[in-house]
Amino acid sequence: MMNKIVIATDEYRKEVIKHLTSIALVMLVGAILIHLQGESPLKAFQAIFQGALVGKPSIARSLRWITPCIIAGTAAVISNKSGIFNLGIEGQIYMGAFLAAVFGYAVPLPRLLHIPATILVGGIGGVILALIPAVLRLYYGINEMITTLMFNYVAILFTEYMTMQLMGVGGSTAPDYVATPPMLDSARLTPLFPSYQATTGFFIALILVGLTYFLYKYTKKGYELKQVGENINFAKYGGINAFSTYFYVFLVSAFVAGICGAVEVMGAHGRFRAQFSSNLGWDGIMIALIAKDSPLGMLLVAVLWGIIKNGSFAMERTTSANRLVVTLLQAIFVLFITADFEKILSKIRLVPLQKREGKKEGTLC
Amino acid sequence: MDNIVELRNITKRFANVTANDNISINIERGTIHSIIGENGAGKSTLMNILSGLIRPDEGEIIIDGKERQFFSARDASRAGIGMVHQEFMLYPELTVIENIILGYETIKNSMFLDIDKAKAEVKEICQRYNFQFPLDIKMKFLPISVQQQVEIAKVLYRGAEVIILDEPTAVLTPQGIEGLFKAMRFLVKQGKTIIFITHKMKEVLEISDKITVLKDGKVTGTVKPDEVDEHKLASLMVGREVILDIPKPEKEISDILFHVENLTVKGDDGLEKVKNVSFSVKKGEIFGIAGIANNGQKELVEAIFGLRASQSGKIEFKGHDITNTGPYHKRKLGIGYIPQDRINIGSNVKGPIWENAIMGYHLLYMKDSNVLLNHKSAYDYTNQVVSRFNVKIPSIFSPARTLSGGNLQKLVVGREFSQDYDFFLIEDPTRGIDIGSTEFIWKQIIGYAAKGKTVLLISHDLNEMLALSDRVGVLFEGRLVKVVETASTNEEELGYLMTGGTMKIDE
Repeated sequence: MMNKIVIATDEYRKEVIKHLTSIALVMLVGAILIHLQGESPLKAFQAIFQGALVGKPSIARSLRWITPCIIAGTAAVISNKSGIFNLGIEGQIYMGAFLAAVFGYAVPLPRLLHIPATILVGGIGGVILALIPAVLRLYYGINEMITTLMFNYVAILFTEYMTMQLMGVGGSTAPDYVATPPMLDSARLTPLFPSYQATTGFFIALILVGLTYFLYKYTKKGYELKQVGENINFAKYGGINAFSTYFYVFLVSAFVAGICGAVEVMGAHGRFRAQFSSNLGWDGIMIALIAKDSPLGMLLVAVLWGIIKNGSFAMERTTSANRLVVTLLQAIFVLFITADFEKILSKIRLVPLQKREGKKEGTLC
Repeated sequence: MDNIVELRNITKRFANVTANDNISINIERGTIHSIIGENGAGKSTLMNILSGLIRPDEGEIIIDGKERQFFSARDASRAGIGMVHQEFMLYPELTVIENIILGYETIKNSMFLDIDKAKAEVKEICQRYNFQFPLDIKMKFLPISVQQQVEIAKVLYRGAEVIILDEPTAVLTPQGIEGLFKAMRFLVKQGKTIIFITHKMKEVLEISDKITVLKDGKVTGTVKPDEVDEHKLASLMVGREVILDIPKPEKEISDILFHVENLTVKGDDGLEKVKNVSFSVKKGEIFGIAGIANNGQKELVEAIFGLRASQSGKIEFKGHDITNTGPYHKRKLGIGYIPQDRINIGSNVKGPIWENAIMGYHLLYMKDSNVLLNHKSAYDYTNQVVSRFNVKIPSIFSPARTLSGGNLQKLVVGREFSQDYDFFLIEDPTRGIDIGSTEFIWKQIIGYAAKGKTVLLISHDLNEMLALSDRVGVLFEGRLVKVVETASTNEEELGYLMTGGTMKIDE
């Protein structure tokens, strides 16, 4: 155990320095961008902080955004860990949300049954969308990154079309007004604080993280899923059925993404609105990337991510700076975190010659 | 005494490892000077320093009496040092002449390639040094031994006086090695100097004028071949007595346990790599499959273990038909596998050591729960493998990539041997690992066979084949050309069979 700690500290120190530097750089880029929009960076950052963390309404709104970030992050962690790049989380959220919303208003059930059933229907919505890319990947070797990415557009437009069909002709066609009828109360999640959008969906998110953590830490299946992701040849050689593992991981990831959509409509929205997701699926992918696919790390990053997301909405309300600045900064942050700085520095020859050679000849003889 | 190369007090450190520690070697003009040592002894680092690929932290390189500083391989090449790497640096799609002149082209009218002049120069080199190969054929059509000649000619074309050969015999058949040695002696007669890097003692004793032994980055001795024998050299390399002729104990070989009939397997390129192969292995036997690399060994083993589908034929084990069933089924019936590719197949180098140690074991032996992973029993098993097989690790939680090749190999071997299998597929168990570990692994294999376990050994090392197997089958172009008793064969006969009998034993 001692050794583990000794080895860890050196790498941890590097990681911490990397993250802190990245945050500082991102703040700097952000300050410049906000300044260019003619707004005081200080005021904007203050608005983000106050809007996200100061006072009960702010915290409630942060919890509201943390919830989908955690669930989408879980979906991404599950697929990434086994080496599948599910870029279709966004689309799977839409399918899950749409089916859950329809089920929630059209099928009256007692509350105790209605809530789990609606969540289940949402999950199935995600699975339906992932089924075709999964089959294409496994039987025909078609790269899932492309198929899942493309299915995002299919899902977003398909749900919008279906929503309009459902409402009948005559409603406004502006995306904000294209929505399904409100869901029954029996399918709505309970608000944590009256009249705010944070709901018990937060606990559903925590349960999902807990299950994911348990799966990878304490089960044989979790061990196998990790091996399939890290070296599929090794997994096959060891007797693991990589084919079925791959298939199930794909569908479970999509199932969780579908739940994310369901929780969104059962909580904050109460109905399905066309184009409702503010990039939640992509948030999930970025969160998982930053957390290096560790379930607990993901939880931490998702909490921060939700806070920043909420803060950015607040900044837009109180200042003239555009919220997209924050989205841009989040993406830049991911870029900084995932870049291999040592490699880049050695390529542009800032690292002394001696050291470069040492790196290149890392293994002896 | 005319030293063409003097290395003085060379020291090179990588992070916390001292790869070369104050090494001084004098190399006389017109001799074959061997540098021998285990993996990790610092041979390749030293040669990379001499050929300008890396720079030493301390020490001097003196060529022809003048101190030189090399900043690149080109600097070294200009000073007359040329290196033939173990992995050839050739482009298979280019022709022989293009490969030779690449980077050192002769130019006419200040912009056009003067291929005719280059050809004339290369032809002259071939004549003077007795090489025979076509110039206008694509590299990929030439056999390995000829590719090696091209590599040497390339170095000569660049004006090398000192030629470094890094493990040149690893890829050759016994006949190919004889040919190489002839060429080396001829080059030396013409006044060139050769530095020969290897870890094979027999070859060193046969060819060298002088031998320098490295161990742990230090010189442990510089000797003449007539002053020493294999045992003396081995103890200089390892630092203790090594026994490589392990006596085979008396054992009982009984009924047929494993049987392959008319097996045909296609390779990745869709061509048949294993053609109609049939053989049987008896219980308690070590059955060897010899052959030059890429004659179907990989496809054969993968088909047997279920990692690759076979086209036709039948594989039977303990009376069960196991043709085209997956690895899980094979393991459950009692077949273990030690793959040649320990990094891409045999382990997950990203994961911690314990995760590597329990693969397979977790499916078959951790029976207390089908769902939960019992960490305690996983760690216990890992510790058991590590201590029984003497794997040197920092901690069972450190990533497997921190292990050296030999230690990773011991982990893979240990993992398979510690599970209760009756039949082992073993592929090149000692490739690229040092003598100490080789001795250990050979003893384990022979010991297991003595206990009634059965082994199918696939190896490219004839020495290993003869030391371990009871019978040897030879693969050539996917066909099993002959099965011989080890007791009644020798390296020459096997080498002859491995080339399909096309090469004469005595030219």
